[in-house]
Amino acid sequence: MIRVTDDIIIRTVARMLIPFIQLYALYVIMHGHHSPGGGFQGGVILGASFILYLLTHGLEEAKTRMSEMKAGLFSSFGLLIYSGIGLLCLVLGGNYLDYGRLSTVLRVVPAQARSLGILGVEIGVGIAVMAVMFSVFFDISTGGELQDDQE
Amino acid sequence: MTTFFLYLGMGLFTLVLLCLYRGIFGPGVLNRIAGICAIGTKTLIILLLMGFIYDRVEMFVDISMVYALLNFIGTITAAKYLEMKGEV
Repeated sequence: MIRVTDDIIIRTVARMLIPFIQLYALYVIMHGHHSPGGGFQGGVILGASFILYLLTHGLEEAKTRMSEMKAGLFSSFGLLIYSGIGLLCLVLGGNYLDYGRLSTVLRVVPAQARSLGILGVEIGVGIAVMAVMFSVFFDISTGGELQDDQE
Repeated sequence: MTTFFLYLGMGLFTLVLLCLYRGIFGPGVLNRIAGICAIGTKTLIILLLMGFIYDRVEMFVDISMVYALLNFIGTITAAKYLEMKGEV
């Protein structure tokens, strides 16, 4: 069980660092097709920021920011974005995740529609990976013993 | 300049091997953690040197930043674990 400790240096450094980590994760997700990175890597960095918060601020305070239920909802939501875009392409007459078909909905040329479709899928993957990373760490760090978890 | 970076990277690789020895055989847990953290920082510099050698620094800077970040979080996690187990 990770509890609150009075190590003020670690907590201050984490508090200053976490926004920049999250900004960098968003950069990795958004810039995925020009540089190394993408949905999974950005999601891992985003999840690492929440794990850092849990490590430094204790379990109780981390539960107010990102509870078990919220992590489950976010993972399902990311999967919904991914499969939703895929099924939208299927409905529009192409293959699954055939982004070129999205050009009729987005009213852009097919090349641009492919770029936007990949970006949407990567955002979904990033959200899902972030939530699952946090959920796995949450479960391991508590050892499966949650006394006051009513969710 | 590429040759200079190459030899610099090889020297750092030798230092990584020495740190790895400390990480595997080091007496006690704290020596192991210190060895692993030193390996992390050296890997970061080796990645940047690789970026200079391949002439794609802007790509390798991203990777090395992620590596530094995960190294930081890993160190904190190991320290927390030791504190929880009461070994220190």
